[in-house]
Amino acid sequence: MNKILETKKLSAGYGALRVLHEIDFSIAEGERIAIVGLNGHGKTTLFRSLTHLVGWQQGSILLNGEEIGGRRALGAGRKTPSIIHAGIAMSPQGDAIFPGLTVDQHLDCGAYKKESWKNRESKKQQIYEIFPPLLDLKKSLVGKISGGERRMLSIGRMLMEEAKLYLIDEPSLGLAPKISESVIKALLMVDIKNSAMIIAEQNVSLLKGKVDRMVGMHAGRLRGDVGHISLG
Amino acid sequence: MDISLIIYALNLAAIYSLMAIGISLLWSSVGMINMAHGATFVVSGYSTLVASSWIVPIIKASLAGTAFYTPVLVLSMTTVALLSGAIFGAIIYLIAFLPLHDKPNFAIRSLIATLAINIATVQLFLWWFGPRQKALPKLFGFGRIDFLEFSIRYDQAATIVGTLLLVGSMLLWFRNSRLGLEIRAMMQNPEGAALSGISIRKKALPVMMLTGSLAGMAAILLSQTSFLSPTAGALPLIKGLTIALLGGLGSIGGAMLGALLIGILEVITGEIPFLGQRYVLLIQFIFIVMVLIVRPRGLGGLLDETRK
Repeated sequence: MNKILETKKLSAGYGALRVLHEIDFSIAEGERIAIVGLNGHGKTTLFRSLTHLVGWQQGSILLNGEEIGGRRALGAGRKTPSIIHAGIAMSPQGDAIFPGLTVDQHLDCGAYKKESWKNRESKKQQIYEIFPPLLDLKKSLVGKISGGERRMLSIGRMLMEEAKLYLIDEPSLGLAPKISESVIKALLMVDIKNSAMIIAEQNVSLLKGKVDRMVGMHAGRLRGDVGHISLG
Repeated sequence: MDISLIIYALNLAAIYSLMAIGISLLWSSVGMINMAHGATFVVSGYSTLVASSWIVPIIKASLAGTAFYTPVLVLSMTTVALLSGAIFGAIIYLIAFLPLHDKPNFAIRSLIATLAINIATVQLFLWWFGPRQKALPKLFGFGRIDFLEFSIRYDQAATIVGTLLLVGSMLLWFRNSRLGLEIRAMMQNPEGAALSGISIRKKALPVMMLTGSLAGMAAILLSQTSFLSPTAGALPLIKGLTIALLGGLGSIGGAMLGALLIGILEVITGEIPFLGQRYVLLIQFIFIVMVLIVRPRGLGGLLDETRK
């Protein structure tokens, strides 16, 4: 089974603060996994280190066998566009929206490859089918839509381009239960035959039994499969 | 107020807005405060001067007296100005942006670096061309257009209309092109842009060439009414910076409104008997400071709010 992502001794942090402690982690083709843990324990930092957005990082990150990690303390975000082009797609915490652009324009931004840009209308149609509420908001300024709609938009933008690894950070954060369920449902329906998906979630119950495995994160270290923990 | 004063104010506003938009756009999309914008102005001016000494005689010889004379002259000189501005913008990209953009304190360091480029360029031109003022060829002739009750000089009309056309087409291009969308994305959320595969490192080059050519346009328009010298870029730079702040960094509409207000203020101050031209800068600065105290983010977005 092809390993989409493999990290070896990945450490990362901000300034003097070390958040991730030598993480060894891998995910294979076709796997959909959840990383669960409380806020502040490193889930977001893990995603940000994979996309070179943390303060500093060191350790090997292999994407489909190719090294994208290394040691870095400057230039957060400098390699991010090329990592996106290499096949990682992320829907970050906070949605990374452009307040002055419309919903439709956001989705346009997601189509970064030349071919996808030419065919973006049909791809947008697909996204609007996955997230029907966005269709009515096509021309609305994103600064003025609700949290749930923004979340759908952020994930929709992520899905505009086929990626090898999908990273979704806290999809249910700040959303009402009904909307979180529909967002999670949409994520679970994404076809990942040749790719992989990692969902970082605080709310274990949303994903229990619906993902291939669940990995716990505590104090910057992965604590092994937690699929066996039952709630309630 | 006399119509001719309003036209004079619009003329000034047009030139100031070109400088201010250049500063504002670059700062909000790339995070760089471009103190070398004045140098771009001067470089464009002198490039046009040098080019005109070769090109104008040819045009005069072949087209003098025909209907094509003015259009060809205007087109060729404007192209030289815009191109030289764009090329110098690319040079600033190479020297001040590329080495510094991913290191700490980029905003301050780029300010220092571009200031250094400005000083060095001015000194270079002082050494090569000397300090004397030079006149650029008059592109539009010396006539006036008279209609209704007012008359407007050809060059004033060209400045106002030309600026509106240039900025208008730029805004249209922004709304409809992929690069325009990417630049707007960079302005509104740099991280979101990076996650959408937009590389600020690569896109900064076209932005700097575009803003460079705006400075070139300002240079050739201002040269119709005033002289060119190596230090001629200082005042347009200062006005551009302060008006960009007044309008709100990142707001093109704000920069244009700010330029209009500053232009009107300049004309009014010049007319008031006990003030006059000497007090123009002082009054303008006081105005800008007062507006920024009341509304630190600048004028941009003013209309959006009142519609609520």
